[in-house]
Amino acid sequence: MSAMKEVLISAKNLKKEFRTGETSQTIFENLDLDIYKGDFTIIMGASGAGKSTLMYSLSGMDRPTSGSIVFSGKEITKYNDDELAVFKRKNCGFVFQQIYLLEKMSLMDNVLTAGALCSDNKKEVIQRAKELFELVNIPEITQKKFSTQVSGGEAQRAGIVRAVINKPSVVFADEPTGALNSNNSEAVLNVFTKLHREGQSIIMVTHDKKTALRGNRVLYVRDGQIFGDCNLGNYVETDNERERKLDEFLTEMGW
Amino acid sequence: MKKIKSQLIYNLKKDKGSYISFGIVVLITAIMLNLAFVLLFQVDKAYDDKFNELNTAAINVTVPKLQNTDALLNDIKSLNGVDDAECREAVFAEAVVKDFRATDFSMNTLFYNKDESRNMNKLDIKEEKTGMTENSIYLPLYVASFGEFGLNDEIVYEIGDTKHTFKVSGIVEEMQYGNYGKGLMGAYLPKEVYEKFSDEYSEQTVVEYSIMTNGDINALQNDISDLLEEKGITMLTSCDRISTKDTRTMVCNLIILVLSAFAIIILFVSVFLCKFRISNSIEEDMVNMGVLKALGYTGNMIIAGVVLPYLMVTVFASLLGVAVSYAVLPGLGELLTLQAGFSFGLDFDIKGLICVVAILAVIVLFFTYTAAKRIRKLQPINAIRGNSEGKSAKKNYFPLDETKGKTKLLLVMKQTFSNGKQNILLFGVSFVLTILVAFASTMFYNVIIEPDNFISTLSEEMPQIIVSPVEQYEDVISDELKSNSEIKSVLKYTVGTVNIDDMPVTVFACEDFSRVSNDLCYLGENPDEKNEIALGSAFEEKYKIGDRIEIQNGDIPCSYEVTGFVQSVNYQGNVCEFSLDGYEALNSEKLVPTLYVYLNNASDTEKIIDEIEQSYSDKIVSTMNYQKMTETTQEMYSGITSVIVVVIFILTILIVLFVLYIVIKTLLVQRKQELGIYKAIGYSNKQLMVQMIGSFLPSSVVAVLLSSVLGLIYVPQINQLIFQTIGAMKNNMEVSFAFLMIFAFVQITANLIISILLTKPIKKISAYALIKEG
Ligand SMILES: Nc1ncnc2c1ncn2[C@@H]1O[C@H](COP(=O)(O)OP(=O)(O)OP(=O)(O)O)[C@@H](O)[C@H]1O
Ligand SMILES: [Mg+2]
Repeated sequence: MSAMKEVLISAKNLKKEFRTGETSQTIFENLDLDIYKGDFTIIMGASGAGKSTLMYSLSGMDRPTSGSIVFSGKEITKYNDDELAVFKRKNCGFVFQQIYLLEKMSLMDNVLTAGALCSDNKKEVIQRAKELFELVNIPEITQKKFSTQVSGGEAQRAGIVRAVINKPSVVFADEPTGALNSNNSEAVLNVFTKLHREGQSIIMVTHDKKTALRGNRVLYVRDGQIFGDCNLGNYVETDNERERKLDEFLTEMGW
Repeated sequence: MKKIKSQLIYNLKKDKGSYISFGIVVLITAIMLNLAFVLLFQVDKAYDDKFNELNTAAINVTVPKLQNTDALLNDIKSLNGVDDAECREAVFAEAVVKDFRATDFSMNTLFYNKDESRNMNKLDIKEEKTGMTENSIYLPLYVASFGEFGLNDEIVYEIGDTKHTFKVSGIVEEMQYGNYGKGLMGAYLPKEVYEKFSDEYSEQTVVEYSIMTNGDINALQNDISDLLEEKGITMLTSCDRISTKDTRTMVCNLIILVLSAFAIIILFVSVFLCKFRISNSIEEDMVNMGVLKALGYTGNMIIAGVVLPYLMVTVFASLLGVAVSYAVLPGLGELLTLQAGFSFGLDFDIKGLICVVAILAVIVLFFTYTAAKRIRKLQPINAIRGNSEGKSAKKNYFPLDETKGKTKLLLVMKQTFSNGKQNILLFGVSFVLTILVAFASTMFYNVIIEPDNFISTLSEEMPQIIVSPVEQYEDVISDELKSNSEIKSVLKYTVGTVNIDDMPVTVFACEDFSRVSNDLCYLGENPDEKNEIALGSAFEEKYKIGDRIEIQNGDIPCSYEVTGFVQSVNYQGNVCEFSLDGYEALNSEKLVPTLYVYLNNASDTEKIIDEIEQSYSDKIVSTMNYQKMTETTQEMYSGITSVIVVVIFILTILIVLFVLYIVIKTLLVQRKQELGIYKAIGYSNKQLMVQMIGSFLPSSVVAVLLSSVLGLIYVPQINQLIFQTIGAMKNNMEVSFAFLMIFAFVQITANLIISILLTKPIKKISAYALIKEG
C-alpha cells in the first residue's frame, strides 16, 4: 500500500531481552518492521508492551539483543559506540516525555549544544535556531531562560527545536505531550504537524487517541509483535472519517 | 524509625563504593589520630611512672673521690629544697665501646658496683644469667638493645690504651641517664668485678651524689654548683631529670609530632572531603527528597536518612581504625623502646578512643547537618522540578549564541563555571591533599633521600674523619691533607667542656665557623674573635647578644662577648662555641686541635684513613672513622623515623587515590543524567570524557600547583614547629621544589587516570539507560 514510499528504517528479526539478575524478560522477538520516509508514524500499545523499547532500539539509542536494523541504507546494528554516536547526531532527533533539557544553561544554549555537533558554522546554526524558535512560538526572552524557569510546554517545544536543529532524517518522540496539559499539548503537536508537512519523518509513541490522529500511520504493539498497522492518511484538522477509522482499528486491537 | 531505616539502607546501598572509600579515608585518619593520641597520653606517663618506680634522683652529680669530703653529703642534704640525698662510688672513664652496632662508639661511662645497696636510682633487672664470672657486666637496656648486645655476649670497653672485655650477665633498666647523645652512660659490675676494676682506676674513682627534690631543679643545681665551688670541688658530670627526659624521649617526641602533624593534615583532608561528599550527595538526591517530602516525610526524617549513613560509616571506620592502630602500636612501642632505653607497654587507651571517635563524628555530623539543613526549607515541588538552590544555575555563563569561540570549548567553560560551588570545593580538597603530599614527600626527601638534612638538624659537626695530630704537626698535616684531591676540606675543630655559671657545658671550638658543614647558629653570629662566644639555646633566657660573660676554667678567668646562639638537640642546648684562640685562652696548656676531614666521597673514608695512618704514623695520635659513627647515629635517629615516614608516605598515596576516587565519582554520579542527555543528542564518549575532565580538572590542577608552590612557604613552617618543639631552633630540612613539582605532577596524573577510569563505564551504559537512571 505504501509501495511508492522509500524505506527509511528496516528492522529484521529483532529481539530484545532484559536481564535482571537471574530472570530475563523478552520484550519482543522475531519482529520485522519497515518505516517509510516522510511518514509520521505513531506507535501505540498497552503500558509495558515495549513501545519505548522498540523505538529506542530503532534509533540506535539502545541496542537490540539480536537482529538487524538498516537505517538509511546503513546497518547500524553493526556500528560501535562512537560510530553510532556520529550516526545518531546526524540522523536522529529525540524528544522525551520528561523533556530532559540540560539544567545549567538557557533554552538557546541547549539547542546550540546539539547544533555544534553537526556544523562548525556557528552563525548559521544560531540563525536556524532562531527560525525554529520562531516556528515553535518561543520569543527571544524565553530563549534566554533556563529549563527550570519555563512552562512544560515551552520546555518541550524547545526540546523539539533541539531535536531538529541538525535536520535529522527522523525525529523520535516518546510521549512528548505526556506531561503537558491540553493547551500545551496542542501547541506542541501543532509543531510536529508543521514539521511533518515540511517533509520531516517522525516516529512518535503515544497513549492518546487525539495525538495519534496527527500521524498518517499507526502501529500497534502487542505480545512482542507489531500486532496491527493502520494507514490513516495525512492529518486534516476536521476529518471525522480518520477518527472513526482509528477508533475501529484500536477496538480491533483490543485497546 | 522503621521508615528512616529503609531510607537509610537505600542511601547506603545506592553508592556503596563512595561510602567505602569515605570509610577508608576516615579509617586512615582514625589510625593516625589514635597513634598520636596514645603516644601523647602514654609515653610521658610511662616515663614518669618508671622514673618514680625506680626512685630515680632528680639530680645526679659526680665529683672526684680525691676531692670528696665526708661532710659533703650532709652539706648537700641541708641545701634548700633537697628532700633526700645519697652517695656512692663509681669509676668514671672516657671509654670507647667496641663493635657497638658494628662501629666503635665513644661513650663516657660510669662503672658502678651493682651489688651496693641503693635507695635511689634503683635498677630493674630485665634479664639475668645465673652464675657470675670474673668479668660479668650488667648493661643498661639502651646499650644492650641499640648496641646489639645480648646475654652472654662479650663487650669491650677501651679505656685509654687498655681493652677490658666483659661478659654480659644481665640487662637492667635505669632512668638516670639519657641516651648516648648526652655522652654519658652507666655500666654495672658485680661486687668482685667492680673491686678489681676500681683498684685499677683508683685515680678515676668518683663519688656520685643523687639528690631528690620536689622543688626547682635549676635553682638547686645552681646551689649545688655554688656549694662545690666554695669547697674547691670540681663537678665532673651532672645530669638532671628534665634534660635526661628530653634527650631520652626526643625521638619519641619527634615521632609523636610528625604523626600529629600528619593526623591533623589528614583531618583537614577528611573535613573537606566530608563537606564535598555530603553536600553533593544531598544535591544528587534532591528530587528523591522532594518526593519523600511530598509523601509526608518530615524534614528531620529525611535529614536523618542522609546523616545517619555517614555517621554510621564514620563511627564504624573510626572504631576499626582505633582497633587497627592497636595492631601497630606494639611494634611502634618496641621501636620507641630502642630509642628511649626503657620498655613501656602501650595500653588500650579509652581516652584516645573517645577523642578519635568524637572528633571524627562531630566533624561529620557538623557538615552533614549544616548541609542537610537545607532539606528542611526545601519546598517539595521545587525539589521535584530540580529547582533547588544550587542545582539550577543562577546565571547562564558564556551564552553560546552571544559568546565568540568554538561551542565545544565554551561548553567546557560553561560546565566549569556553572558548577562553581563544586569547583571551589574541589579546589579545597585538592589544595589540602597537596599539603599532605608536600609534607609527606618533604619528610620522605629529608629522611630517606637526603638523610643528612635530618641528621644534621639533630646533631653537630659531622666530618668523615677526625685526626688527632701530635702537637705542632697540626698545621703541616692540615695543609698537606688540603692538597689531597680526594679531600674536600680540613678544619681545625675541637670538642671539650668548660663550666659556665658553674655547670659543665660542652664546647665546640673551630678555626673558622664559616666553613663548617653544619652551622648550628640560629640567632646572631658564630664567634670569630678570641673574645667572642656563642651560647647554646639553654642560655637564651639568661643572656642577650652583646652581653659579656665571665668564664673561669682553673685559674684563668676570661671575658667573652656573646655573638649569637647555637642549637644542640643532643646536649639540650647546653653548649657553647669559641674560636680556637678563644678556647685556648681558657686552657693552661697549649691546645692541640683535632682536624676534621671532609671527603669528596664519603665511601672513601676507610681508604683515606689508611692512607693518613700510613703517611703520618708518627705525627698523629689517632684517627677516627666519624663517618661510621654518623651512620650509626643516623640509624638510631632515622631508623624508626624512616619507618614512620615511609608509612606516612604510603598512607598519603592511598589517601590521595581514595579521595580522588570519591571526588571524581561524586562528580560523575551527579552529572549522570546530564551525560545521558548529551549522549542522547549524539555526543560521543570521547567528547563527553574530554568535556567532563576539562570542566573539573583545571580547578584541581590549579589547586595542586598553587599548593605545591606555596609548599615552599608552609612546609618549612610545619617543620619549624615540629623541630622547635624538640629543641632544634633551626632545622636543615630542605623543601625541594623539584620534588614538590614531581609530586604535583604525579597527583595531577593520578587525577587524570582516575577520571578516565571512572568515566569509562559511562561508555558502556546506553544513553537510554543513563537518562532513565538519572
Ligand atoms: N532497563 C530495563 N531493564 C529491565 N526491564 C526493562 C528495562 N526497560 C524496560 N523494561 C521492561 O520492558 C517492558 C517494556 O518497557 P517499555 O518502557 O518499552 O514499555 P512501554 O510500552 O513504553 O510502556 P509505557 O507505555 O508505560 O511507557 C516493561 O515490562 C519494562 O518493565
Ligand atoms: Mg514508554
